[in-house]
Amino acid sequence: MLNMLAVIFQENPYEVVPPAFADNTSIWHHMSAALNQSLYRVLSLFIAVLPGILAFFVALAVFSLIGMAISAILRRILIWFKFDDRMARSRGNVEWTPSSSPTDLAARVSFWICVLVGLIIGVAAFDTSYAAGAPLPIALLPYFTHAVGAILLLIAGNLIARFLARSVLIGAVNAQLQYARFLSLGVKWLVLVLTAAMVLDHLEVGGDIVELAFGILFGGIVLTLALAVGLGSRDLVSRSLESRVERSGERGAATHDSSASGQVETIRHF
Amino acid sequence: MATADPIPVVSAASAASQAHLLVTVAAMAQEQFENLLANVAAAFPADSVLVATQNEFASSAFPALRVIVAPPTNAAWASTAADFVHAFQLAREENVRAVLMLGPGPGSLTPSALRELANAVLASGVDLALPRYTLPPHAGLINSAILYPLTRSLFATRIRFPQAIDLGMSLRMTERLAAAAQRFTSASQPDTLIWPVNEAIVAGYAMDDYDVGLRALPQPAETDVNAILSLVTGSLFADIEAKAAVWQRPRRLPPPRIFPDEPLRVESAAEVVRMVESFRFAYTNLQEIWSLVLPPNSLLSLKRLSVADPAAFRMPEMLWARIVFDFLIAFRLRTINRGHLLGALIPLYLAWVAGHINITAAGTSSERHIEAVAAAFEADKPYMVSRWRWPDRFNS
Repeated sequence: MLNMLAVIFQENPYEVVPPAFADNTSIWHHMSAALNQSLYRVLSLFIAVLPGILAFFVALAVFSLIGMAISAILRRILIWFKFDDRMARSRGNVEWTPSSSPTDLAARVSFWICVLVGLIIGVAAFDTSYAAGAPLPIALLPYFTHAVGAILLLIAGNLIARFLARSVLIGAVNAQLQYARFLSLGVKWLVLVLTAAMVLDHLEVGGDIVELAFGILFGGIVLTLALAVGLGSRDLVSRSLESRVERSGERGAATHDSSASGQVETIRHF
Repeated sequence: MATADPIPVVSAASAASQAHLLVTVAAMAQEQFENLLANVAAAFPADSVLVATQNEFASSAFPALRVIVAPPTNAAWASTAADFVHAFQLAREENVRAVLMLGPGPGSLTPSALRELANAVLASGVDLALPRYTLPPHAGLINSAILYPLTRSLFATRIRFPQAIDLGMSLRMTERLAAAAQRFTSASQPDTLIWPVNEAIVAGYAMDDYDVGLRALPQPAETDVNAILSLVTGSLFADIEAKAAVWQRPRRLPPPRIFPDEPLRVESAAEVVRMVESFRFAYTNLQEIWSLVLPPNSLLSLKRLSVADPAAFRMPEMLWARIVFDFLIAFRLRTINRGHLLGALIPLYLAWVAGHINITAAGTSSERHIEAVAAAFEADKPYMVSRWRWPDRFNS
């Protein structure tokens, strides 16, 4: 009790007690040194890869210009040779009719081939310069190359999902399946989930968790569809299938006793 | 009703040939084949005709007829590219002046019909003689809804069956069609459909159609309308796209034909309700796809149509013409995948069929309604040409 009172009534309770160990350098000094070192390493890496980056852009620009020149020359030559007319005369496969003329197509292909070559050469130059700066690694840089692949995967997956969803929707509507939209959406989301899993796997994000989650999700969607069709929509499905079978039978015969007078009427589409 | 150039002077070599006419027939049952030979023998003098067949033939049955073997083809319901190539090869080898190409199941064609088709080419200076079949009111509906109106409006011809399976052709017409067909056969597509009327228009050859009476038309093996419509319409759309430079030129349509009104009153089929329901179902599900192809006015009209009573269901002629033209434009522009596009057309076609059946049931003759549809296509041709040239201008 007396000790407590002594503490309460002391003159300066917040007086700093000098440390037992004293250092001349402050924490700010350490932080500053660490930041300087880090900045130095990043700048060193940037200087090491800068020629590679410049080489990449120069290669891309030069080959793009070459591509434009080749494309223009090729276009003039093909127009002079009346390439479009010749193709139109000789083309047998009318199912393959591109929206652009053959001349346009050839010119564009030549341009993009040059751009692609420039891209490959630029990436090779960048790769060489990055390898030189490899003693100073930055873990983020490899992600850029993976990110390009992931974006391409994402675009392709979306296109495929949309194409398949439309195919299923139109086919199911023409087959008079009452669950056409549900089926179409199911197919679309299956492909999108698959795409998302592939993209994450390509980016090496998540590791086993993504694979596991994808397996569970994909399996879950398939199981849900199976249960919905097998149990929940059993009557609906059987009605749809029955009506489909009846219709195909009718189409095969294509004969209907339709009038009160018993006149047999035939519907023939061709 | 010849429409263009007369037949050229026949060469001396072909004039010297004994047989003037080559009749090519598809493979068929032996009994049908013998019936056909009897009709051919009745229609033509024996020494002037040569029959090419894939069937086995006992010469003792018709000793006066000269029969040769034709290469086998897959023609089951329509003449294909390979048939035209073979017909021209045989015609050139045998040095004939004309070819009468008969599609599958020609037993129902009478001798007078055969004679008329052949004589049109041999004597009347026509390069392409097509039959005008007499069909039941609800038969040949794809032809009535799409093929005939579209060909008539774009190519300015009143040929009633542009995809007729029996043809009378001059040698130069056969050569022209064989050249068109050769592109497909060399691309390993021997079963592709050829459009003789369009080829004749492009070449400026004379053509006409002739009443041949009743004809039992063979049906495709695939009875599903989805497959037939996609196949035939897709083929015609592709041919129209290839000949865009020709049909965009203004042409004068031949004078209208007088057709007899059918006294027969055909009752509405039970199929109408199902077709209308099919259209309604498609309207609720395919709007997103249709909106990529059709202008807002057409979509609004379809919305009104979707709530119509099946008994009073009618697809207005102008709306149908606009729909077909817009689908043709989308086919050209590849607005969506072509398979999807033709699939999305099927419910609309079925809606037209339902309306057509209702109209005939109400007492209007089938031919009169089909002529009205074709007239609507003609009236809307400027829209088609305009959008073909400037597709971005989305007329409402």
